Amino acid sequence: MTLLAHAIAASPPAMLSQDGLRGRPLAWSEAGDLGLWSTEWAPDIKLERPDALEHHRLIETICAAQPCLPVRFGTAFANPDDARASLEKRSAALHAALARVAGKSELALTLLWRQSPPPEPVESAVGPGRQYLERRRVQFAAREARRAFAESLAERVITELAIERPLVWHETCTSENVAVSLAVLVPTERAGERKAELERIAQGFPDVIAVLNGPWPPYTFARTD
Amino acid sequence: MKELTPQDASLLELVDRLLNKGVVLAGEATISVAGIDLIYLGLNVVLAAVETIDKAQERRAS
Repeated sequence: MTLLAHAIAASPPAMLSQDGLRGRPLAWSEAGDLGLWSTEWAPDIKLERPDALEHHRLIETICAAQPCLPVRFGTAFANPDDARASLEKRSAALHAALARVAGKSELALTLLWRQSPPPEPVESAVGPGRQYLERRRVQFAAREARRAFAESLAERVITELAIERPLVWHETCTSENVAVSLAVLVPTERAGERKAELERIAQGFPDVIAVLNGPWPPYTFARTD
Repeated sequence: MKELTPQDASLLELVDRLLNKGVVLAGEATISVAGIDLIYLGLNVVLAAVETIDKAQERRAS
């Protein structure tokens, strides 16, 4: 029986009346004082697009019932013994990660550029080769300036939120539209309050549109490596 | 540059987390989704959602 993994939690498992994906049975595979929540799957059933979002909703339910570590979507085990062996192999790291995220949720802040940077004019009196090189130089300089500005926005968020560095993760300029993608780990009972603070801080940035999401399960902070 | 709406951004952030974050367990087997590599699933999920959003907006406008 294949298991499609959702989340890792400490035993004993919470009492859940929840089904797994597509109404299939939700299984608990225990290894020592840890266990894996997963859906009893079959290798011939192909995952579809809605399954990814259903996986998210399932993790939300599990995390609401007990501290848990979300498992990357698409992780499957051929049988419960394989799942248990995987947990046993990294038991210490999983315990440490569980302790780190217990009682906490993730808030996501995305800052989108309001507009594309205007192209800087290149002197037309120079030859085509020089024009090309000049254009490349200008584009590179503009990209670097944008990245530096995005980094400064992320720094302002972190400073104004007054949060410890290990509880923040961010990337800048991940695409043409995105200036900053930032995640913070906050106590679940203060998530609403911290979200409002993030919103207030982001409202002070006229060059970007702020998109706030969460509280979510602690996806970004569940890494064990 | 194609404009990214806040709804698109929210979905992209979530899909990024589902596919790229979370615990990576040793011995995992990555399942392909209907013959599509998981890396592309995110984009497909987003595209599907954008289509849904667009249709909902059209319905509201009409």
